[in-house]
Amino acid sequence: MSDEVVLEVRNLTCRFGGLYAVDNVSFQVRRGEIFGLIGPNGAGKTTVFNLITGMTPPMHGEVFYKGVNITSKRPHEIAMLGIARTFQNIRLFGALTALENVMIARHIHTRSGMIEGVFGLPPAPQEERAIRQRAMELLELVGLADSAEMQARNFSYGDQRRLEIARALALEPELLLLDEPAAGMNQNEKSALSAFIRRVREQFNLTIVLIEHYVPLVMGLCDRIAVLNFGQLIALGAPEKVQNDPAVIEAYLGD
Amino acid sequence: MEGFLSTYGSAIVQMALAGVLALSLYLPLMAGQLSLASPGFYAVGGYVAALLSTRVFTGFPNGSYPILLIALEMVVAGGVSALFALIIGIPSLRLRGVYLALATIAFVEVLRVFALNQPWLGGAVGIYNIPQPFFSATRVEYLLLALPLLLVSTLFVARLERSRIGRAFVALREDELAASAMGIRPTYYKVLAFTIGAVLAGMTGALNAHILNTWNPRQGTFDLAILILAYVLVGGSRTFLGPVIGGAFLVALPEIILREVADAPGLHPAIATFLRDGRLILFGVLIAVSVFFFPYGLVTPNLFKRRRKTNVPRLEAAKAAPKVSRG
Ligand SMILES: Nc1ncnc2c1ncn2[C@@H]1O[C@H](COP(=O)(O)OP(=O)(O)O)[C@@H](O)[C@H]1O
Ligand SMILES: [Mg+2]
Repeated sequence: MSDEVVLEVRNLTCRFGGLYAVDNVSFQVRRGEIFGLIGPNGAGKTTVFNLITGMTPPMHGEVFYKGVNITSKRPHEIAMLGIARTFQNIRLFGALTALENVMIARHIHTRSGMIEGVFGLPPAPQEERAIRQRAMELLELVGLADSAEMQARNFSYGDQRRLEIARALALEPELLLLDEPAAGMNQNEKSALSAFIRRVREQFNLTIVLIEHYVPLVMGLCDRIAVLNFGQLIALGAPEKVQNDPAVIEAYLGD
Repeated sequence: MEGFLSTYGSAIVQMALAGVLALSLYLPLMAGQLSLASPGFYAVGGYVAALLSTRVFTGFPNGSYPILLIALEMVVAGGVSALFALIIGIPSLRLRGVYLALATIAFVEVLRVFALNQPWLGGAVGIYNIPQPFFSATRVEYLLLALPLLLVSTLFVARLERSRIGRAFVALREDELAASAMGIRPTYYKVLAFTIGAVLAGMTGALNAHILNTWNPRQGTFDLAILILAYVLVGGSRTFLGPVIGGAFLVALPEIILREVADAPGLHPAIATFLRDGRLILFGVLIAVSVFFFPYGLVTPNLFKRRRKTNVPRLEAAKAAPKVSRG
């Protein structure tokens, strides 16, 4: 892990009606880190991801990615800069096959236009072959290569989550945001996922921000952890430190 | 065959054109946009051809108007329609679902009223005596232009569907937010799909102006929008074949199939009369029934996939079988 700051959110605030979903939150994520974002249900974790990826505009505050202010950028621009995410409420392209789902995510790394695509002119055929191969490799990586031609909506819950990760990796991001990747998985799958996340971080040189409910998984996996409660950042630091923080214990046992 | 062609020649030409119009609605739908603007572009295309052939390319004796000039008019009509599409697409494609459908219907209606009030477009009477390249009562010769238009459009959309751009369209249709998180620019691809659709509709209008011999504000109205929508919904909205087959089938059904059945010997006269006169009722019922029972239309991509699956060895097939499906 280096000291370079990949992601910084500064005084991020987002209000829905009278509710502060995210309230003046600031933190920095360093290159190569696995950064955990935890907190009770409704604490504002997913909203933080939506603010970072341009899907929800903040009321106050800024988001910096590698030093560049990306606060007012559109989601597709942010994806092109190298930030990929998965969704808590899985958002695959359900009618398409697993392979097509991953191939679509190669969009920003290909450039053939309509004419090249329709008439099979260069670089379309080469690109097509390359993205198909790349997509198969990624499916292989998440263990879904055997079902490459199956419609995404027919996958089991856990497999859909893995497919979403493969799709996100196809963007070749530098920063990967995973929103509750272990939700719906059993104990074995959870520990396998933990190893998997570590492995992809090495293999793809990723910085990862991870939202997770399951505390043991977060404690074992994350380098640092931020704890949200009612939209506010109540603790930030190494897992051991956060675990013993009275405010965190209070938030988790409070109700 | 001769007899069939001379009886149904113009119906066959209209089957081909219906397929192209259906594709023009299918394209924005591929990108998740329910646009009913196709009749508007179709009307624009028709006027472009009517004006060019009666005001600009004059001096050809009727019956010998060059086919190549019609092709040229179709290209110009496609270009003009594309311009219109860009102008109205960029603001209106921010709208969603029913709102976009309403906005595009408004566009169709505005064009109609505009044409009605423009002397240079012939007002309510329109532009008539559009020159003919053929002497023929049935106009079956127009297949020389209609079939290539259908074939080229179909191939274009078929190829597009399997390309990077087509996949971006479909990603937007499936989940716009997820697509944008994959770096796909929603507005750009929506406008692109809408514009390609407009080009197809404009070209169809240009050709049909010649076939009908006249063009007026009654061409390309709301009624046509509903018909085209039916072609796509009945035929299928998930593969390019759906609209093409839907268009051909729904034109053939009242114009050819029901008439032939009504003429069948031994049919009770009351049934025959109903088939002839009540065919629009049957048509409506058919649309309602097929949309209800086949939400994605009669022709779906799975139709082809299932056939392929049966070739997979048994073990493989068992492995590929869905594990647990989520609600
Ligand atoms: N689009 C929205 N509109 C209104 N309220 C929202 C919206 N998104 C989230 N919220 C509310 O904001 C709060 C934080 O939600 P969320 O970020 O999803 O929490 P978490 O991911 O930590 O469970 C919740 O009270 C939720 O109901
Ligand atoms: Mg959440």
